[in-house]
Amino acid sequence: MDSLIPSLPYLGRGVLMTLYLSAASTALATFVGLVLAMIQLFAWRPVRWAAEILLYLLRGVPLLVLLFAMYYALPYSGFRIEPSTGGIMVIGVYFGAFMAEVFRAAALAVPRGQWEAGRAIGMRTPRIIVDVVLMQALRIAAPPYINTSIMVVKGTSLVAIIGLADVTFIGRQIVERTLAPFEVFGAVALVYLLICYGLSTLGRYAETKANYVH
Amino acid sequence: MSFDIGFALRSVSILSEGLTMTLALAVPAILFSAVWGVPLVVAIRSRRSGLVALTRTYIEIVRNTPVLVQMFFIYFGSGFMGYPISGFVAGLFALVLQNGAYVAEIYRAGIQSVTSRQTEAGLVLGFMPGEVFRIVVMPQALRAVIPPLSNQGVLIIKDTSLVATISVAELTFQARLLADRTAAVFEIFFALALFYIVLTTIFSLLMRLLEVRLRVSN
Repeated sequence: MDSLIPSLPYLGRGVLMTLYLSAASTALATFVGLVLAMIQLFAWRPVRWAAEILLYLLRGVPLLVLLFAMYYALPYSGFRIEPSTGGIMVIGVYFGAFMAEVFRAAALAVPRGQWEAGRAIGMRTPRIIVDVVLMQALRIAAPPYINTSIMVVKGTSLVAIIGLADVTFIGRQIVERTLAPFEVFGAVALVYLLICYGLSTLGRYAETKANYVH
Repeated sequence: MSFDIGFALRSVSILSEGLTMTLALAVPAILFSAVWGVPLVVAIRSRRSGLVALTRTYIEIVRNTPVLVQMFFIYFGSGFMGYPISGFVAGLFALVLQNGAYVAEIYRAGIQSVTSRQTEAGLVLGFMPGEVFRIVVMPQALRAVIPPLSNQGVLIIKDTSLVATISVAELTFQARLLADRTAAVFEIFFALALFYIVLTTIFSLLMRLLEVRLRVSN
């Protein structure tokens, strides 16, 4: 155990990387999800079909395959971007497909009568969308949104496979040096547990708030 | 940057070698997860608070940690303990541990979706609690759990790709070998993605068939 203490600052850097990847990927996934949900709900029919097909394809492929594709194809594509940026882009777009479903389902869960009620009291369409539908949809979307965010945090561990120094990657390196897999991977798991458990506690809180609607 | 469709087609036949391994992992992983969810949901719903707390703790731990870290823990940990297990077994173990917990939650939600009035009606008619569960609650819960189980199965199929990192020669592993050797990366990963899309589509369709078969016409 004592031999592991010098490794702690090293692991700490991995934790920072994981936090950075998690936050940036979740933000991007939220943005992509919102855009895709909007397209699915409101866009011109052919665009909607295109989005539908894209979503289906994204959901059918493992995240690892997309990360590998990015990792191997990037040098050939002529773009010069940081590996961490590439990772965030892949993870963000991938989970954006899941977020889109969360937002779309939430928007559809707002009863049709709410639109009509808004119209009946003389509101214009953009105001109905923002003040009536969006406000209620956000509340409905909160618990599944948190669950998807937890998937994003866990998903960032895959960047370790393409050589980004997140907490999983550094954990593996420390294990190779110290031969203490239980302690080190236990600590790595604890890092994810703390982040995700924090998020799911937030999710449960959101759930009690969301129940107010029904 | 060119795309050689002929090479993509040829890589399909090479990747097929990995397909067997992916299926050999995905099928038992899905079945064992569905089975492992049963004792878990029984434990969560039991009256023994100690057992409930223990099961809850297990579920929270496995659901809030990445399956990749669990695989590393089991794979490297078993070797260190002196009982090395293969990457295949370690991967299967991690997949079942994690997805069984998700499945248990799906079962729990399915049982809860059957209103308590149904149970009361059964008890009033003179059935024993066990019979009420078997005859009234379970058939209805079963129908409710098929769509979320289908989603979970798709996630399991996709997560089998992770065992490539603990040297199991499945689809993704083969694709990586091929990519290292030939540098025709676009073709290879296109073919690889196609494999997973076809697999998950077939699985979803099968689950959809099951759902239609179980539906009651009213």
